[in-house]
Amino acid sequence: MRFKTLLLLLCLLLPQFALADGPPKKPNYPEGVSSISPGSELWGAVRQRDGVLLDGVSQVRGVDAGILINEQGYRWARFRVSELTLYSAWALAGVLVLIFLIYVIRGKVGIEGGLSGNMVRRFSDYERIVHWVLAIVFLFLALSGLILLLGRPLLIPLFGKEVFSLMASASKEGHNLVGPLFLVSLLMMIFSFVRRNIYEKGDLTWLLKGGGFIGKDHVSGGFFNMGEKTWYWMVILIGLVISVSGLILVMPIFGQGRIIMEIAHVIHVIGALALIVVSIGHMYMGSIGTEGTLEGMKTGYVDINWADAHHDRWGRECHEKDLIVSAEEYARLVGKPSVDEADGRETT
Amino acid sequence: MARMKFYCDAERCIECNACVTACKNEHEIPWGVNRRRVVTIKDGEEGERSLSVACMHCSDAPCATVCPVDCFYTTGDGIVLHDKDICIGCGYCFYACPFGAPQFPEEAAFASRGKMDKCTFCAGGPEEDHSSDETRKYGRNRLAEGKLPLCAEMCSTKALLSGDADVISDIYRKRVINRGASAFNWGVNFNNSKISG
Repeated sequence: MRFKTLLLLLCLLLPQFALADGPPKKPNYPEGVSSISPGSELWGAVRQRDGVLLDGVSQVRGVDAGILINEQGYRWARFRVSELTLYSAWALAGVLVLIFLIYVIRGKVGIEGGLSGNMVRRFSDYERIVHWVLAIVFLFLALSGLILLLGRPLLIPLFGKEVFSLMASASKEGHNLVGPLFLVSLLMMIFSFVRRNIYEKGDLTWLLKGGGFIGKDHVSGGFFNMGEKTWYWMVILIGLVISVSGLILVMPIFGQGRIIMEIAHVIHVIGALALIVVSIGHMYMGSIGTEGTLEGMKTGYVDINWADAHHDRWGRECHEKDLIVSAEEYARLVGKPSVDEADGRETT
Repeated sequence: MARMKFYCDAERCIECNACVTACKNEHEIPWGVNRRRVVTIKDGEEGERSLSVACMHCSDAPCATVCPVDCFYTTGDGIVLHDKDICIGCGYCFYACPFGAPQFPEEAAFASRGKMDKCTFCAGGPEEDHSSDETRKYGRNRLAEGKLPLCAEMCSTKALLSGDADVISDIYRKRVINRGASAFNWGVNFNNSKISG
């Protein structure tokens, strides 16, 4: 009995001896034939596995008609419905909350010593028209664009598909029609405001001191301060990018394919969102954020104390050149706009 | 319940474009709009293949995902359709679709997009079957008549198949076996046919 068990154990050890003998010999198969399916290569190329767009031909005449599969499209769609929608909604909500908090904590930024009632000419009628045309066009485009961007997750649950379809259709048609006007008013903005928006000495100091936003001290500034200049250049540069990408999207007549339009769309939306977010800050600063600022864009005149407080270098210039208009004179000018209104116009 | 699918056999398609013509005629599609097209890859080179392509009625359709007004819906037969009363003609489905299926009639100046038009698998739209509204907006509704899409029905080489996915994949599977897809015979080889389809 014991002997038999020992024999059995020895048998179990046998394979070990076989291994110790060296690696097992390969069975003698015939040489393999290396053959890749031509189909796999072709369809791999169609699916752009190597990242190269395969262009075929088609009897159907149209842009991209020869492209069997556009891989980029699905990536764009995913980006559009997940990241783009989500982050833009958060960015908008975030900036609104931020502005609200600033208003609650900091409140309206007043002028030391209050308003004097004596005014000084800041913007001409033409400049104000340019500003407000651009502002209204921008607001319309921003609103209609946001309806198209965020409507499906936010507005369809509220209004239903039928009503929202009407809103979205009006937004799309309006956006397409008004869009080119943005470019026109942007060009007007470039020519009328560019001279005073070139960066100069002192702008860096303004930035380093946080624009007077932090602390009590007023920071020295010229006709436009560093923040206003940066906003101006943002509007111009991003505005031009939005205009060009918008024209690529709205006029599919230059032979641009889907991939170009997908890229244009992403650039268009990100650029527009950047402008919208900063514009909310601009609107706050220009209206309820600071005392006496809106007056400049409403009537063209600002209080001399406002000028001294926020734009001291320009204010000093106004004092030196004696451009200050008395309160009575101002009331007459604003109440009855006439040719002599232009006399008080400030030129730098 | 069926799961409707198109299948185009690249080994059979001869780029005759009859499917394109049949579709245009059946649905009276306006000039410039093509619900179906034939694409030839490697035209004139070795390994040239042609495929007839239209809306593939995806299970997870990118067009439906990206539509800002949510006008797409999938029927019980797995056909992706859209509601032209909801569609605003923004073009997003055209950017998103891998197959280039969504088409836009040029409505006004600068080629501004009208309401999107695409292959309906000859199943019409959300309107009542065979109503004049349905015909005007979406073309004929052959499925409601118990017929399959005309493009595939009249394909001369039976390259383009349409119908229940189970049925057409069975047909295709038999074809592949018939071609004797051995290591030496990739692609077409009718000599090695053993099973009759």
